[in-house]
Amino acid sequence: MSFEQILFYLFSGVLVLSAGAVITVRNPVHAAMFLVLCFVTTSALWLLLEAEFLAITLVLVYVGAVMVLFLFVVMMLDINLARMREGFARYLPIGGIVAATAVGIMGLAVGRINFGLDVWPAPPARAADYSNTRELGEQLYTTYVYPFEIASVVLLVAIVAAIALTLRTRPGTRYQKIEEQVVVKKSDRLRVVQLESEGRK
Amino acid sequence: MLENYLPILIFIGIGLVVGGGMIAAGFLLGPHKPDSEKLTSYECGFDAFEDARMKFDVRYYLVAILFIIFDLEIAFLFPWAVVLRDIGMFGFLAMVMFLGILVIGFIYEWKKGALQWE
Amino acid sequence: MFEIVENFLLGLGLWPWLATLVVTLLQIMLVMVPLLLSVAYLTYAERKVIGFMQIRIGPNRVGFFGKPLWGLGQPIADAVKLMFKEIIIPGGADKFLFLIAPVLSMAPALAAWAVVPFGSEMVLADIDASLLYVLAITSIGVYGVIIAGWASNSKYAFLGAMRSAAQIVSYEIAMGFALVGVLMAAGSINIGDIVRGQGGAYGLLNWYFIPLFPLFIIYFISGVAETNRAPFDVAEGESEIVAGFHVEYSGMTFAVFFLAEYANMILISMLAALMFLGGWLSPLPASWIPELALFDLALGDGIHWLLAKTALFLFFFLWFRATFPRYRYDQIMRLGWKVFIPITIVWLLVVGLFIMGGLAPWFDAA
Repeated sequence: MSFEQILFYLFSGVLVLSAGAVITVRNPVHAAMFLVLCFVTTSALWLLLEAEFLAITLVLVYVGAVMVLFLFVVMMLDINLARMREGFARYLPIGGIVAATAVGIMGLAVGRINFGLDVWPAPPARAADYSNTRELGEQLYTTYVYPFEIASVVLLVAIVAAIALTLRTRPGTRYQKIEEQVVVKKSDRLRVVQLESEGRK
Repeated sequence: MLENYLPILIFIGIGLVVGGGMIAAGFLLGPHKPDSEKLTSYECGFDAFEDARMKFDVRYYLVAILFIIFDLEIAFLFPWAVVLRDIGMFGFLAMVMFLGILVIGFIYEWKKGALQWE
Repeated sequence: MFEIVENFLLGLGLWPWLATLVVTLLQIMLVMVPLLLSVAYLTYAERKVIGFMQIRIGPNRVGFFGKPLWGLGQPIADAVKLMFKEIIIPGGADKFLFLIAPVLSMAPALAAWAVVPFGSEMVLADIDASLLYVLAITSIGVYGVIIAGWASNSKYAFLGAMRSAAQIVSYEIAMGFALVGVLMAAGSINIGDIVRGQGGAYGLLNWYFIPLFPLFIIYFISGVAETNRAPFDVAEGESEIVAGFHVEYSGMTFAVFFLAEYANMILISMLAALMFLGGWLSPLPASWIPELALFDLALGDGIHWLLAKTALFLFFFLWFRATFPRYRYDQIMRLGWKVFIPITIVWLLVVGLFIMGGLAPWFDAA
């Protein structure tokens, strides 16, 4: 077994175990941290596939951003996992069937029949100065420019939806208006008054 | 390409070992004399009234969601910045349009007061 | 140099993979040991510099060999003291997460150094996407803060952690946009290539801090906010929430957080030096340097320039702390979202136009 294969089995083993832990541990924060571990090991697997840019972006976006939001939510909401687990045994058979079907279909679709080495020969290993990012960029902003622009519209919808769902302004809140503070002049605030002195008697 | 990542893997491993090792050293060398007062969480001399893990302002969620969106935007900008010289004016205008659409969202946030911290 | 060591080990009859491992470990130690020493002495420098700014002397007692030596032994004494202190785990804490949190903030702060180049050939792991790697790995550091605040089961720690996390993520955006400007200028995502892109006939006028000046300023200020340093240290804010997320930590667990913060400061400073101030390049144009080996060594390109530039930025960190009062939290968020992000977006377009127009001397090369 080559060193790469050892790494592959190591990372996939950790990935499967931590994915199992996500749904079995009692504490939701622990579950979220195991999900983080899942993403990190997935990123390592993608790296083994030489998808450098995507692997690092997975860490940047999912570990660095999405899971932070998850943790915020999980820490703040009192999720009672014990109650959620009550139906576990009852739904186990049907859940198991669905999961087995999904795994079976995926195995058929991306397994040996369609993606075996006789159908797709193994790509040669890339040279040390190969730039995955550059290759991706050359495709994304020219050939795939329409999907790219649509992505911006999707993000715009996400912004609007996030604000519509979570923004609650409390009435009567007073803000500091920094722009007004900056443009204020001495004459707006200060009035110098000349007073007649009373004079000595 | 992969051989360049081997030192990183080892480095991350060593980083974990150094962090964990320091704490282990502290455990081995330091005293252990717990008492019930010492183990209470820091308060102003009272017992804590309620659980410390409280609910807090929904605004933090909003910041986190907006952060995800902008982080994705940055992820799109990275490969673009690298190949800008190769894709020329067409690529530049494609990104101007992309950013333009997102700036509309940004202005919307601003006007709605989503960026205003109370 | 390392080939000699590797060949020597191979000559001893070691397996090739073991020889590679030993050499890699040796290289890692060459990065890690000076880094940890600099972290220790940065704490000393901080106390000395702020001391002098406030017309005090700072630590001046603990030295070596029975002599005070301006207090140079202080960081070592501090480390030893912290090592022998009790680690208190509060009663209501989540023990596992409580202990894992410092490691989660320390490991990324160290691992980011794997791709930092110290010279044109002096880099541990020369990966193509090294800048993206640094950005990704430092973004993991926020977990140390959040987990520490939550696991402590203390209100102060929790409040500090939430504030800190929201602040870190907000400034990460401004920082990311500033980095995009650098990538555009260099046309590469590799830190070594970014430095090489700043070479040229005009010495320091070729560096990117001139065309990218607003991004340079924003990058460094965001770096100060990312590391939770003064004046953006509301996460610690000892006058309101005692010490923030690490209020319940003691002894070595506290020391690890402390080390991670200082290692991050050095990382931000060195990245700023690499990306905007030409890294190891000499500020003098090559034609000015007399053709003598001695002059070339002292004034030509070399790691000493990188270290000097890094030290300059570190001094700014300390200077800020001694000078500015703490920002209020709403002002911090306003600065990040309403000032920095619009400026960076506008300046990215300006840089794009510079590149399209081939502005000399930075962007005229194809």
